[in-house]
Amino acid sequence: MQKQLNQIETEALESLENVENLAELESLRVKYFGRKGTFTALMRGMGKLSEEERPIIGKLANTVRTRLTEAFDGLSETLTQQERQQKLALEKIDITLPGRRPMIGKKHPVTQSLERIQEIFRGMGFQIAEGPEIEHEYYNFDALNTPQDHPARDLHDTLYITDSLLLRTHTSPVQVRIMEKQKPPVRIIVPGKAYRRDYDISHTPMFHQVEGLLVDYRVTFSELKGVLHSFARQMFGEGTRVRFRPHFFPFTEPSVEVDISCTVCNGKGCRTCSWTGWLEILGAGSVDPNVFSYVDYDPNQVTGFAFGMGVDRIAMLRFGIPDLRMIFENDMRFLRQF
Amino acid sequence: MNVSVNWLKQYVDFDLSPEELADRLMMLGIEVESINRLGEGLDRVIVGKINVVREHPRANKLVLCDVDVGSDTALQIVCGAPNARAGLLAPVALVGTELPSGVTVGTAEIRGEESQGMLCSESELNISDEASGLMELPVNLQAGMPLVEALGLDDVTMELEITPNRPDCLSIIGVAREINVITGNSLRLPQSKVQESSTDVRDLTSVAIEAPDLCPRYAARLIRGVKIASSPTWLQHRLEAIGMGPINNVVDVTNFVLMEYGHPLHAFDYHRLAENRIVVRRVNTGEILKTLDEEERLLTFDMLVIADAEKPVALAGVMGGFDSEITNQTVDVLLESAYFHPSSIRKTSKTLGMHTEASHRFERGVDPESVIPAINRAAQLIAEIAGGEVSAGIIDVYPGKRGPARIVLRPERVNFVLGTEITSHQIREILTRLGFTVSDDFEVTVPTFRPDVEREIDLIEEIARVYGYDNIPIALPQGTLPTPRVDSKWMLREQVKTYLLDCGMMEAINYSFYHPDVFDRIRLDVDDPLRGALQIRNPLVEDFSTMRTTLIPSMLENAKRNANHQVNDVQLFEIAKVFIPSAPAESVETKGEFPNELERVAGIITGSVGTDVYGDPQRPADFFDIKGIVEGLLDVCGISGEIINQTEHPTFHPGRSAEIRVSGQKICVLGEIHPEVIERYDLPNKAYLFELDFEELLEVSNLNNEFEPISIYPSVNRDLAIVLDAEIPSSRPTNVIKSVAGKYVNSIRLFDLYTGEQVPDGKKSLAYAIEYHSNTQTLTDEIVDQVHERIVRTLESELDAELRS
Repeated sequence: MQKQLNQIETEALESLENVENLAELESLRVKYFGRKGTFTALMRGMGKLSEEERPIIGKLANTVRTRLTEAFDGLSETLTQQERQQKLALEKIDITLPGRRPMIGKKHPVTQSLERIQEIFRGMGFQIAEGPEIEHEYYNFDALNTPQDHPARDLHDTLYITDSLLLRTHTSPVQVRIMEKQKPPVRIIVPGKAYRRDYDISHTPMFHQVEGLLVDYRVTFSELKGVLHSFARQMFGEGTRVRFRPHFFPFTEPSVEVDISCTVCNGKGCRTCSWTGWLEILGAGSVDPNVFSYVDYDPNQVTGFAFGMGVDRIAMLRFGIPDLRMIFENDMRFLRQF
Repeated sequence: MNVSVNWLKQYVDFDLSPEELADRLMMLGIEVESINRLGEGLDRVIVGKINVVREHPRANKLVLCDVDVGSDTALQIVCGAPNARAGLLAPVALVGTELPSGVTVGTAEIRGEESQGMLCSESELNISDEASGLMELPVNLQAGMPLVEALGLDDVTMELEITPNRPDCLSIIGVAREINVITGNSLRLPQSKVQESSTDVRDLTSVAIEAPDLCPRYAARLIRGVKIASSPTWLQHRLEAIGMGPINNVVDVTNFVLMEYGHPLHAFDYHRLAENRIVVRRVNTGEILKTLDEEERLLTFDMLVIADAEKPVALAGVMGGFDSEITNQTVDVLLESAYFHPSSIRKTSKTLGMHTEASHRFERGVDPESVIPAINRAAQLIAEIAGGEVSAGIIDVYPGKRGPARIVLRPERVNFVLGTEITSHQIREILTRLGFTVSDDFEVTVPTFRPDVEREIDLIEEIARVYGYDNIPIALPQGTLPTPRVDSKWMLREQVKTYLLDCGMMEAINYSFYHPDVFDRIRLDVDDPLRGALQIRNPLVEDFSTMRTTLIPSMLENAKRNANHQVNDVQLFEIAKVFIPSAPAESVETKGEFPNELERVAGIITGSVGTDVYGDPQRPADFFDIKGIVEGLLDVCGISGEIINQTEHPTFHPGRSAEIRVSGQKICVLGEIHPEVIERYDLPNKAYLFELDFEELLEVSNLNNEFEPISIYPSVNRDLAIVLDAEIPSSRPTNVIKSVAGKYVNSIRLFDLYTGEQVPDGKKSLAYAIEYHSNTQTLTDEIVDQVHERIVRTLESELDAELRS
């Protein structure tokens, strides 16, 4: 029996040498260790052995079984790995085929710019206010210190609905509406649509504006500079230079126009900035005392500043859009770009 | 406003390049829009005189000119211009000149004949567009003289943007004053010395002001015996440099003084004035005036005119009359210098649509105290240039005389407003430089040429701009923050926008107005209230004339625009206001009531959906795409709506459209666009739209989602396929399942709809996946079987459905 065991071991180990896959390995395992396997059969004969022989043979049988099991398991592991590798190799795909992208919508470039502007001013404590687009001339002009028959009305080419109702030419009337309802401090921005009778490469009859107003018991021109300086840097980049130029607006005094170093050439001069190195982005100024008297604020008690910027123009600069009119054509090829 | 650097230098010294000057002016508030070097590139062009013109031996369209250029020998120049003739003075570009076109003139042989330069046209020198022949120069010029000198082109002009508050800067002297603020060099104002004759002007004419409210001051002088002719070269050059064409010596002088002082003058032919006198008055009913531009103007009551004894002869402050203008026959000139009330001039100019150099200044406010210096300057120049004698004295009617404004300035207020630390000494120094007089206790007297300075804040602005905005420190606001508010409209709008973007729709922004014909195009009934749109009174074009009452036409227009560019798959949405008159459109006019501005959300899907790349095939969009989007939208807004058939909206396909109601209130219309509308918009595919009332949505929305416990018990899935009448809407079996299964059903999903083979005619097959579950127990097969069986039986009994095996 000892001889038989040794023979099984030798024979099995030899057979394993020729096994090529898991299926062959499995049938070989059955051949020796299955219910009718030769090793199993041999073990059944153990009972016929003598008391003396049994422990000796039993020990040997265990050794053989262990060795063979190890050999079988080792080969099984190797073959499993091999077969997995083969399967993976077969499963290879062409990863250069196109990815399946979800269809997503995109915000209009004006909305994107508007949201960025709002975010910056909200960070400085400004709240959002809104007002009507069809406005009374009182709010659009008179209460903003632009009386009838004043040449400053020529600055805006106005679209009229009736003698006194018009499409607001800026979002500034909302300053008056808010101050009528709220006592200082006021710190608002007013995003929205405004309208003028213009149509060319840099003007559309409808455009978007953000008006800002800060009124409190002691607000200086220095703070106007501070807020707008901070805005320009956050909006156009840390390295942006900001220039404040005296200007005229009927409802602010002193008034200022604000330029930033050209975003395209960084101030060296290029076509975008008409070779000046500067881009005008907004108008601003300290609130004119006359405006305060329209809303029953005491000009000796409170001061403040207001500013207004064209969002569409900022979007044009930000994205390099050459013609303002494209913004309102809603061409899918345009909208997909931003 | 154009200024010439040479002209400015008559009044103030400065040693700045044009670019430096532009920068400095800009930082004072005067923007320089362009700088134009008049003689640029013409420094090697001189005056030549053609002595002899000979035939070119080998070209019959060319001639040989011997041209005197001031040197010993004449140059031979080949020329093809039709006006080349002996005696003509024309510009000669010498060899080596680079012309404005970039061409360099060289010695050339033209058909075998040497050409030692080039005779030039105006267009070749970039002086004008005239290219038909040689530029003809005045005969009194000296051959060999540099052309820039001969034409007064050795000058630089600048185009300035003058803000409406600064009428004083609409003049050379005004701009010189600003330069004087920069340089501090003293200003030289013209000193007029009028040689007067012995005849008193009062014996020859008179001025009566009948409307002193509109004309606070009117002065007149008389110059007799003038000879009307062309102006001398220096005067022509001055006017030409700033873009004014010379007319004749008298008119040119008035224009010169207009530009010099910013004070408009007018010259009348004295003998064309009835009774040789002036009456300043309002218009009498029905009066007509033929103005200088030869237009007959019907005047209205509140306009101010300059009249003679009988009739208007000029539209005060706007334009002179044709019949009293200076002509070649004029001998005696009555000169007007006046101050008119700004808003009266503005009204007249607006009403008649006449915007002139004069009205531009009067409506902004000229200096009432420059009336006399200006008239004296003009009288002296006319006498010098056109001859004649100036009658003794000035008629100066000045009923509206007002002293200069005086303002008390608080120096500490300056620093309070600006956030600066400017000393009283600096403040005094700045105001003095600007021409203000400052008393010891800071009472400031404003010069009369600065009508814009009326209040302390105006003085503070003056101080700020001269002190320099750059020198004002930068600080961040210190004050308290206002109490924040919750804006639920804003939040809902963001929610809706984000959802629609997630649906793959692009955000569109359209103009708030469209063409009035859109209502026909979308098939609205003649009496549809949406047609009562507000009309813009003065639209740019009809396309931008009618305020939107619905967003639907904009969406269709966007689809069409894309289709025009072969983009047929369009998925867009817009959130915007529509404008609904608060009363019928015609009565808005009288009441001046605010219209309702109501927000709408609209979306369109047309063409195919899907990316159509390998592995993601496209399919045509259909009703259920738009319906799904709207259902999802209501879901994210926390509401459930009832969808019902609608056949009323004329823009939609009557069998493929619906409306959505929330608590009985109609909130949205959606569906396939009517084929007739598709045709009218020339769209290549069917289009699916929705329009939702955002205001109503805001009323019913609920963004406060509350947590619901997630069941810990497993659910059981069963499929159910039934065959029933094709006419029965699929919502009915769904409702049966819901009501029968009650609390045991978690979801019902229709996964198949089939008609065709294996299903009898007039029938359809619907297949549902039903998910059963309970929050309180694990459902056993027995319970599920029972419920499922009950569902089947109810479907059979109520809908005559048959279970499909």
